[in-house]
Amino acid sequence: MRIFVVGAEAVSVCGVGRAALASHPVLRTGTLLPSRQLARTHPGVGAAEVPEIPEEAELFSPRATARMSRASQLASIAVKRALREADFRDARHEIGCFLGVGGSGGSVGEVEAMLSTSVTEGALSYRLLGNVGLSACNPLLTFQTLHNFTLCHPTIAEGLGGPNGAFFSRGAGTLVALEEAAASIREGDCTRALAGGADTALHPVTWAELARTGYAENGLIPGEGAGVLALTSSGEGALAELESVAIHRARGKTLERVTTRALHEVAAGAPALPDHVVIAPWGDASRACLRACVEARLQRVAMTDASRIFGESLAASPALAWVLGVDLLVRGAATRVLVLSHGIDEELGWVQLSRGGAR
Amino acid sequence: VSRAVITGVGAVSAFGVGVDALWNGLARGAGAISEIRSFDAGTFPTRVAGEVPVAAASTALLADHLRLERDVLPLISQWEADGTLRDRKTPFALLAAAEAWGSAQAGASEKAASLSLASGLEQCFLEDFVSLFRDGRIDWNSDRASALPKTRFRSPAELPARCLSELFELEGRTIVNASACAAGTLAVAHAAALVERGSAPVVLCGGTDSLVNPLALGGMSRIGAPSPRAERDACRPFDRRRDGLVIGEGSAMFVVESEERARARGVKPLARILGWGSSGDAHRPTAPLPDGSAAARAMERALSRAGLGAGDVGYVNAHGTGTLLNDPAEARAIRKVLGAHADRVPVSSIKGAVGHLMVASGAIELAASLLAFERDLLPGTANHRERDPECDIDVIGEMPRAAAVDVVLKNSFGFGGQNATLVLGRVR
Repeated sequence: MRIFVVGAEAVSVCGVGRAALASHPVLRTGTLLPSRQLARTHPGVGAAEVPEIPEEAELFSPRATARMSRASQLASIAVKRALREADFRDARHEIGCFLGVGGSGGSVGEVEAMLSTSVTEGALSYRLLGNVGLSACNPLLTFQTLHNFTLCHPTIAEGLGGPNGAFFSRGAGTLVALEEAAASIREGDCTRALAGGADTALHPVTWAELARTGYAENGLIPGEGAGVLALTSSGEGALAELESVAIHRARGKTLERVTTRALHEVAAGAPALPDHVVIAPWGDASRACLRACVEARLQRVAMTDASRIFGESLAASPALAWVLGVDLLVRGAATRVLVLSHGIDEELGWVQLSRGGAR
Repeated sequence: VSRAVITGVGAVSAFGVGVDALWNGLARGAGAISEIRSFDAGTFPTRVAGEVPVAAASTALLADHLRLERDVLPLISQWEADGTLRDRKTPFALLAAAEAWGSAQAGASEKAASLSLASGLEQCFLEDFVSLFRDGRIDWNSDRASALPKTRFRSPAELPARCLSELFELEGRTIVNASACAAGTLAVAHAAALVERGSAPVVLCGGTDSLVNPLALGGMSRIGAPSPRAERDACRPFDRRRDGLVIGEGSAMFVVESEERARARGVKPLARILGWGSSGDAHRPTAPLPDGSAAARAMERALSRAGLGAGDVGYVNAHGTGTLLNDPAEARAIRKVLGAHADRVPVSSIKGAVGHLMVASGAIELAASLLAFERDLLPGTANHRERDPECDIDVIGEMPRAAAVDVVLKNSFGFGGQNATLVLGRVR
């Protein structure tokens, strides 16, 4: 069964919507705007941050927004727009939704409020925490944010009741989401499904972790966003066809070896080679390797570096690159796009898309 | 299609380390809820839990239980030193996986296995912030190299999966399911899907979680999910007097492969994975759809995939949290799917005995469900004494029920409205 993309939407540093991608600037270290979200905890960190979300894209009441993580908000916007573009209006309880999701996204201010009431003489007191600290905030919803709420807030808002799955992702989990969405259609669990990822690297704890473990020193530009594809088996009015999805395990092997082998396999078996490659590397070494492998294997192919547009948005990175790939096809800049993503989990993601329903 | 089977199982629960501890406890109709010992919960709204009875998740504990072909002690020692074992769900997963690996007689030829793991919330270590906390604010600039770099501030959600992959030298892909309390069941379903699609020859799968820590316990209490009673019978699934859940911790892991592969290497499967399904409530983040219609869709999808009807189901292992809202909604879902058969299909929940293992709940309850095939015994529902007319199904009481059933249907429902059902079949 063939799988088609009938909606592709994104929220990113470029703004809200796929149309905003066409005028994207290229990010360069040293010229990045400092992150607003990190301004208090890590002032001056340059980031690929989603600009202020325009009022018409606000989907939630202030009360609802306060309960949602940043990733949940971004996912909700992208899901709503993808559903609209796909014209998935009816029988929403049968529409599947599979997302790659990230980690904590709550308010550090609330953690500080909890500490203020729970630390005495330089030490944490469980007695105080139990007595008064827990009344400062709900740690389950503000700090250890439930991962799957990035999926569930949009599914609740949009009434999506089909098969679903939330996969923790530093890259590959988002590919799993796409695989499972396509499989759920192929295997008859549903006829329409959404797939994508949403995340932010601009939460203070996440950024502290990335900085401490050396990612920041290796060219990682922190970003955030959400990308969502709407999939179905009907090619009518399709933006693109999803030709293949694969995850190649790079951990324990060199990225070069894995990428070269994957490209060799596709060159040997594919009916036609891509004329455009979108790479989504997580840092400088990854970028150089993917570029070199593509240039060695696929001559005369155009290449776009999605990470130079979106930064590293963790679970969102592959999905943003897919939406960019679809956009290239829709605008006629390519007929067949290969998206190679390499996340900080060291897995290589592979997605091949072709224009419309034609093959 | 090559049918997926379970060939190995391992478990860590409030009954202790090992699936036999779980099965024996359930076979006795026992409960394992007790006062929290791992930290001073005296002022917390919840003071009982299904806590795994180990003093510490240490190298010594793992060395006692891991029986692998290679010497893993140096690796474990390194993990203890760098904080990897700090979040109890990681060592629990290692212990359960080692048991599953051994019971499946897995070895070098299974190293191509993939991993499908339901992994719980990142655990936040509030104490790590204390040294940075000055004048009411966290001074992030004073954050320096840590003696526990792997789990500074929080344990990464994917850490247990990374450890499992490294310990067992798995060559396949790693999938971390983060679908809240539906994740354990979905992770096993995903394993079966990978095997049936030919995407993986073998999958190590299951779930691990521990919310028996100050912030998680406090957070769940703020939501109002746990029973306010700090008593051993605090969780009373489907009982008229129920007033909330009890938090548990632990892990259950399985080895899943195709039936042909298992038979070819001389391993008798423990169960067939016949079908699975999922759905979304699309209702509210922390409350189920009251009429159970969305949960019913997950069950119907699972039965449809299995090619079975309501009359084929011999036993339902329920999600059965013991909360006011979940149990009647689930009972309605079961009745909607099973129709008149619901009068005679036994249903039980083990959460009164071991607590709610959250992300790992589906996995531990699948392990418990294997009791039906291993010993012709359906687990009882600890603390279920008074029938609730709102839960109009045949709930097994506190003691297990002897019965030889061929098909088991397992439900798991998560916060956010994610529902999952798996159908297991007996292997004769």
